[in-house]
Amino acid sequence: MILCSVATRGRYESTLPLVLEAIINQTKLPDKLIIWDDNDNAEDVREKLFYKYFFQRLTIKGVQWEWNFAHKKGQHHIHQMANTKGYDWVWRIDDDAIPEPNVLETLSLYAFEGIGAVGGAILTPPLLYNNSGITGKIDNINNESNIQWNFINETKEVEHLHCSFLYRAGIYDFNLGLSRVAHREETLFTYGLHQKGYKILVVPNANTWHLKNPTGGIRSETSQEMYDHDEKIFQNFLQFRNNTIVVLNCGMGDHIVFKHILSNVKNPLIFSCYPEIIEGKSIAEAEHLFGDLDQWNIYKKMEQWKWKDSLENAYRKLYL
Amino acid sequence: MIVISPYSKKLRNGKENPKNYPYWEELIAWIQINVGFDIVQVGVEGETKLVDDCRFNLSLIELRNLIKKCNTWISCDSMFQHLAWSEGKQGIVLWSVSDPLIYGHPENINLLKNRSYLVQNQFLWWDSYEFNPDAFVKPKEVVHFLK
Repeated sequence: MILCSVATRGRYESTLPLVLEAIINQTKLPDKLIIWDDNDNAEDVREKLFYKYFFQRLTIKGVQWEWNFAHKKGQHHIHQMANTKGYDWVWRIDDDAIPEPNVLETLSLYAFEGIGAVGGAILTPPLLYNNSGITGKIDNINNESNIQWNFINETKEVEHLHCSFLYRAGIYDFNLGLSRVAHREETLFTYGLHQKGYKILVVPNANTWHLKNPTGGIRSETSQEMYDHDEKIFQNFLQFRNNTIVVLNCGMGDHIVFKHILSNVKNPLIFSCYPEIIEGKSIAEAEHLFGDLDQWNIYKKMEQWKWKDSLENAYRKLYL
Repeated sequence: MIVISPYSKKLRNGKENPKNYPYWEELIAWIQINVGFDIVQVGVEGETKLVDDCRFNLSLIELRNLIKKCNTWISCDSMFQHLAWSEGKQGIVLWSVSDPLIYGHPENINLLKNRSYLVQNQFLWWDSYEFNPDAFVKPKEVVHFLK
């Protein structure tokens, strides 16, 4: 089951209709489309004639759809909601990214075991970047352009993706500690899938045209402070990328249970509420470094997984 | 010697924790008559004293030492049951609304009256649920496992 998720802000009358048209004309259709309206002054466009036609056509083609008013907290919150909707795969599309008709069909050919996310080219005209020799490795992120910024000639394993891609849902969380601009959110997310042991691929013949628009956009905030805040979180994740980050923001009993699996955790960097049970840095420091701790909240995880097994095995799933 | 840990953590809303066993006085009387062990109560200051030998606010080291020395222990679903399990000492856990398959340890004797009393969402704060004395097994059934 594939959910198509589009986050939008300030583009009712510009690129959003182009995105919807492109989704309707895919050679393989998603099972459902959700548009998350993150506008400061949201309008209900569902009854506007032009939009009505989009939704009528989706219904005729058998695609369920929903128009949701989002919480104005940024697209990472939106993507996390899509991530936990219970679908196997989510195809995320920006509201200025126009996929060619075969994109979902091509990406979904790679939606098999072991794959975490798959993306194609994200092309902003004029094409300014040559992607030959680009590695797509996180270590090189500050020294090379993004491999998706030109046509992809062959399937390649990378460590992070950008903008629009198909991903395996419910495995890794979007970082909700980022600011509303959600700078680096997709890099953190796809690298997180990579760290969980899933392959991240770029593939040829799946081109999306990124029609950057000076107005609107899900990242239309201009505050440098927000970008700096998010960049700091990103750099902290990079700094500790060879560690398993363990955050025990939970009760004493939970710490005791976790201790039983601790010896199996690879290179742990531990943040603990009860250092007398498990030594570690403070939870406040974890929050400062990584922004949001929900991805390590064992209770939220068990709820999300509809968990029936033991707490100890839930910890194994989260950290091993 | 039997260690009892009668109470789960106090709730933020001041209500009775739905995991607290309601029949301790009766159970203690049964133990004293039928089993004859000394009983030591552990917990935190402010909890109701149920026996003469109450040891509140013990450190983890002191609790571990006590667990090592005792013959067995009885607890509601609280930190204590995990601590005793980690020390390898078998005891009895008295369950009600939380699921022993998730929060319990098969090495212990887990007494749950009926799974129909388990709350549907096991992962919310316990403040969200009402205390229900009917959800627990009666003392007579507990004593049976001590004999």
